[in-house]
Amino acid sequence: MRRRRFLQGVVGVSALSVAPLGARSARAQAGNVLRMGLNSEVLTLDPIKTVYGPDIIIQGIMFSRLLRANADRSEVLGGLAETMEISDDGLTYTYHMAEAHFSDGSPITAEDAAFSLTRLRFQKDSAYVAPFDAISEVKAADAKTVIVTLSRRFTPFVTLPELWNAGIVPKADVEKKGDEEFARNPVSSGPFRLVEWRQGDRVILEKNPTYYRAGLPHLDGVELIYVPDDNTRLSMLQAGDLDMMIGVPAPRVQEMIDLSFRAQPETSSVTNCLLINHAAEPFNDLKVRQAVNAAIDRAAIAETVTSGFASPASSVMAPALDFFNADLPVPTRDVGKAKALLAEAGKEGLAFELMVSAGIVDDERSAVLIQSQCAEAGITVNISKVDSTQQWTRLTEGEYQATLGWWYNETRDPDSALRWAVCGTCGNQSYFTRFDNARVNELIEIGSAETDEAKRRATYAELQQITYDEVSYVPLYYPPYFNAYSTRVQNLILNPHYQFSSIDETSLS
Amino acid sequence: MGRFAFVLRRPFQLIPVIIGISLITFVLLQLTPGDPVRVMLGSRASPEAIQEMRTRYGLDRPVIVQYGYYVMNAVQGDLGQSLAFRSPVSKIIAQRVAPTVYVLVYGLALSTLLTLALAVPAARSQGGFVDQLVRLVCVTVVGIPSYWIGLMLIMFLGLQLKLFPVSGFGPDPLANLWHMFMPALTIALAITPILTRNLRATLVAQMNADYVTAGRSKGLPESYVFWRHVFPNSLLPTLNLAGVIVSFLIGGTVIVESVFNIPGLGQLMVRSVLTRDYFTVQGVTLVLALGVVLTTFVVDVLTVLLDPRVKL
Repeated sequence: MRRRRFLQGVVGVSALSVAPLGARSARAQAGNVLRMGLNSEVLTLDPIKTVYGPDIIIQGIMFSRLLRANADRSEVLGGLAETMEISDDGLTYTYHMAEAHFSDGSPITAEDAAFSLTRLRFQKDSAYVAPFDAISEVKAADAKTVIVTLSRRFTPFVTLPELWNAGIVPKADVEKKGDEEFARNPVSSGPFRLVEWRQGDRVILEKNPTYYRAGLPHLDGVELIYVPDDNTRLSMLQAGDLDMMIGVPAPRVQEMIDLSFRAQPETSSVTNCLLINHAAEPFNDLKVRQAVNAAIDRAAIAETVTSGFASPASSVMAPALDFFNADLPVPTRDVGKAKALLAEAGKEGLAFELMVSAGIVDDERSAVLIQSQCAEAGITVNISKVDSTQQWTRLTEGEYQATLGWWYNETRDPDSALRWAVCGTCGNQSYFTRFDNARVNELIEIGSAETDEAKRRATYAELQQITYDEVSYVPLYYPPYFNAYSTRVQNLILNPHYQFSSIDETSLS
Repeated sequence: MGRFAFVLRRPFQLIPVIIGISLITFVLLQLTPGDPVRVMLGSRASPEAIQEMRTRYGLDRPVIVQYGYYVMNAVQGDLGQSLAFRSPVSKIIAQRVAPTVYVLVYGLALSTLLTLALAVPAARSQGGFVDQLVRLVCVTVVGIPSYWIGLMLIMFLGLQLKLFPVSGFGPDPLANLWHMFMPALTIALAITPILTRNLRATLVAQMNADYVTAGRSKGLPESYVFWRHVFPNSLLPTLNLAGVIVSFLIGGTVIVESVFNIPGLGQLMVRSVLTRDYFTVQGVTLVLALGVVLTTFVVDVLTVLLDPRVKL
């Protein structure tokens, strides 16, 4: 998932500080329906077709999985599957499913589960296969038993079927409607089902009366409303036109708390980083990477960009993930060391281009700070602003020297995170930085095949140490999620992995 | 009838305009770097999924072939599929036209009322207190960005006084008189100063014209001279200016749409350009171009109606 705030760039919205305004009006409060304000729009309802923010939120709400997570995903529990058995060789996972029904009343069978997971793993246009590529076969042993066979021992799979894209879809409905129509108007298996999708505006969901968890959901419905402008979203929340919103600009968080909204930042799994291209001058030189690493003041950037809500980063992955190496210190700024390293490398007078996505206010601020911090170490940073689509293209094609990026992880287990961020053999060239370290690649495979927790911890600690020493990229800060909720909203948080996993237990007071 | 012959000619003049516009947009978009499929699938999407999507939408073919297919389909009324929404472009545009047109027309209506209410008294008290005040207000308001006006309206009329909803498009045209008041007022405040200054200046110029002096010397009452002679003769320049402004506003409503969260064409256009949703951009451009042509057309008809001497 990547941040997409399209309209900001054009409208030139900056966080406008305004005086606190009285309490919300009761005018627009609408019954027992939760109205959520999103900062990007929903594009598809088919869980296998996307890895994009608002889509994975709504798919998580519309489709139940074999496993489910508690509110903050600290625990993964039985979902549509009541029990699970893992064979001794770790290659066969057997799931025993409970009685359950789709939103059209038809039963959810092992056949549907096998169909959904097979589709996720093997269909050509399945968008995010990477974490599931260990699956070699999924089949229904009987009406309520699903057997997943893996091609290799793969410990992260224990919790993976909880992911949004492993949502169980009705085989009959998909085959009858075809993929395109299903993506617009699906029969669902989760706590809510589709009423109407006004594309580019809102998705209206209602309670699914046949939801498998008895007595749930508490809400009569959910509306996901797309509001591109941050300040407008805030106004709507204040006016009572929304019950919660995603994406409060950091400078306005305190104001919302003072207005008695629940706006305390929520723990995320996000890392913001300076991505550098290892395949090109000047960052193919370790000393240059270390010099820039030493020139940058992470604490100052975190303080300025997120109003002090983020913590400066040390490891390539966020502290919310399992096996985060807390022994790595946050590198302190050392201009003298940066200059010395450049002199050793013979790269005095270094200059590089920093590509920034225009209109993403946080990145523009970070870029200016990096520019001035590097200048003190004798490094010239030329900021070039491009639009977000072009930034992405140049990043993936390697036509850049440095750029700003961020990423989150969908599981607590770090496997998919590391495959995304630092793996040279996993298809994306280490988040397109072209970092390719044989030992790191090997450690990723060792870690994912290991079942002993202490050994996994040691493996991932070594891995994080290498990427730290090698400066695979420059981790800048770990930001929280900035959301705000009306005090009416009970039992709802956005978990670190970008899912509202307890929304079936949410209520409005 | 002869004076209105242009009504029949106009539609044919439209054809080269539309071909030109569609070709330019198509080429410009293709020249802009960036991959729409990456954007819609999310950053971690697999290369296989991306390739599959490109093939499905024909994006792997040469540009000229893509344009050929586009034109062939467009002639048959098919504007293509939106890459982002995976739905027909015509359907998506259809959902977006009403809010934009409504807020434009509403804003224009408010602006007409305001312009008349300001320009007429100002011109009639030329150099006096009212005139000075109107000119001061116009100069002040014209310098304020719409974005800021919109936010201030939301804060004071919406959040503090709770007179109007802060966002959204209402359920029916009547309810929208209330829902769309603040956005319409924002538009009206942006264009009224320009129109007012223009109309006031023309009124003042006409009031000093020879035929007015002649009327006065015949002993015609001042108000008769003004409403019967000066006013109608002053409308044409302002009408033509309004036509130009409306043409700019069509497609330029994005700021108002964004501040008040109105799901209109402006928002659709911006997001489509930024995500390289080629066919949606094409479709919206076409609709906006038609809007501009239509506006010019309406202005022409009104001009002919207002001034018996004009023949187009």
